[in-house]
Amino acid sequence: VYLSLFQAKSCICHMCGAHLNRLHSCLYCVFFGCFTKKHIHEHAKTKRHNLAIDLLYGGIYCFMCQDYIYDKDMEQIAKEEQRKAWKLQAFTPTVVSHYQCTMTGIGEKYSTWEPTKRELELLRHNPKRRKITTNCTIGLRGLINLGNTCFMNCIVQALTHTPLLRDFFLSDRHKCEMQSPSSCLVCEMSTLFQEFYSGHRSPHIPYRLLHLVWTHARHLAGYEQQDAHEFLIAALDVLHRHCKGDDNGKKANNPNHCNCIIDQIFTGGLQSDVTCQVCHGVSTTIDPFWDISLDLPGSSTPFWPLSPGSDGSVVNGESHVSGTTTLTDCLRRFTRPEHLGSSAKIKCSGCHSYQESTKQLTMKKLPIVACFHLKRFEHSAKLRRKITTYVSFPLELDMTPFMASSKESRMNGQYQQPTDSLNNDNKYSLFAVVNHQGTLESGHYTSFIRQHKDQWFKCDDAIITKASIKDVLDSEG
Amino acid sequence: LCTMNKDAQMRATINQKLIETGERERLKDLLRAKLIECGWKDQLKAHCKDVIKEKGLEHVTVDDLVAEITPKGRALVPDSVKKELLQRIRTFLAQHANL
Repeated sequence: VYLSLFQAKSCICHMCGAHLNRLHSCLYCVFFGCFTKKHIHEHAKTKRHNLAIDLLYGGIYCFMCQDYIYDKDMEQIAKEEQRKAWKLQAFTPTVVSHYQCTMTGIGEKYSTWEPTKRELELLRHNPKRRKITTNCTIGLRGLINLGNTCFMNCIVQALTHTPLLRDFFLSDRHKCEMQSPSSCLVCEMSTLFQEFYSGHRSPHIPYRLLHLVWTHARHLAGYEQQDAHEFLIAALDVLHRHCKGDDNGKKANNPNHCNCIIDQIFTGGLQSDVTCQVCHGVSTTIDPFWDISLDLPGSSTPFWPLSPGSDGSVVNGESHVSGTTTLTDCLRRFTRPEHLGSSAKIKCSGCHSYQESTKQLTMKKLPIVACFHLKRFEHSAKLRRKITTYVSFPLELDMTPFMASSKESRMNGQYQQPTDSLNNDNKYSLFAVVNHQGTLESGHYTSFIRQHKDQWFKCDDAIITKASIKDVLDSEG
Repeated sequence: LCTMNKDAQMRATINQKLIETGERERLKDLLRAKLIECGWKDQLKAHCKDVIKEKGLEHVTVDDLVAEITPKGRALVPDSVKKELLQRIRTFLAQHANL
């Protein structure tokens, strides 16, 4: 019967020829009839065939009871057939939608959870249940500072409140591939999530995490203050490697073929177009990225103007008010066409010689979680300093103007499609902000994280306090 | 004997075109996704549970439920979803202007 769903489009009602009116199939003989127009009811009455199956959802209807019935054996068979059918159908997206699958890319069909005997036992032995209300503080926990480890604490807070990551770990999806599980950072993350969501309110002491980080990212070892951004990248790198069981970076790192949870959530694609100024040929490369590092005004490289002849156009509903730099300004600068001067000529494959060119970066593929890094710490040959310029950032960010596809549309003279504003694919919601107070030599990291939809909390090592949205948006970033 | 008026005939032609090109199926998928995304499905599910609690599990048939929740279901579809689908259909009609 389930394989017949393949041919569902060729099944039509034997009485009126329609195939859209809740078609049912008789379980006694070969007859298809509409439910809505009562054709199947007529058949049931005249032939006394009292059972029929709904061809869309598989429910079994009994004409005597005048209702759908639920038989345990039939449900078992249905589940099994559904599973088989899903495997066959996995490549035809239109039919797959009938099973309400969520395309998580993990290749599993969504099915409602039913407890096994063992799970029922566990649930009976552990009767304590936790209910999530709007003002409960589950998931919030302070972290003890183990000696200038606030840079690590902030990133940990941000990661434990990344919804997809949280769901991954709390549903036990990590299967350790490492030779020695005790050195697996992913296992340690899993434990960390358990600690955070355990409901304990005392601060957690992340000594094991720190030790693992020191072991696998030597450049971060030691009690000096480190850079939170560097820690984020190092942590993502180690987690990504450990997901594949790669202990010491020996396995070939091919980011294009990795499907680990880190790549699924954090990896985006950055497109770099180099245009030859003579023949206008474009050479394109796409590189994976975990973060977007943005230059700020006040650094030694000039910030304004954003691009030759640019105006203060309105993007994301913010117009450029002179005086306040916005995140959007930084992004526009990041994606501006840049003249690579005469000292940096590129070999053009079209002209077969070295020519001047312009380079432009755009987003080819957006990650699910985007990390924006404001380059506040300047380490140039002359000086090391911190740029404290306030950069305002929004709660909601639309990345559409910075996409490679948008650039192509603009170049082809098409204006932005109106349906794009209805399309939510490029829109982001803010959920974590990491701030640094102080100077390059001595400073302190704190973070703001969003717990429920509009509830923000400030995390200062072991101290968690409620924060307002204004506090978050006013912070330096 | 053709008893259909011009409107109904137009509807039937459009419907047929939608089915033939597979657009009807795509629209259905889009609608399904949008209704889950905006929470409509959860709202209606909750309403179903209420109806069942009120009437008692033994006394309610699937058809009863359908009759009960259909008006609410229709009313709860957000305007933005209606707009988007309308836009899709308009675009489709523009592309198949030879109708």
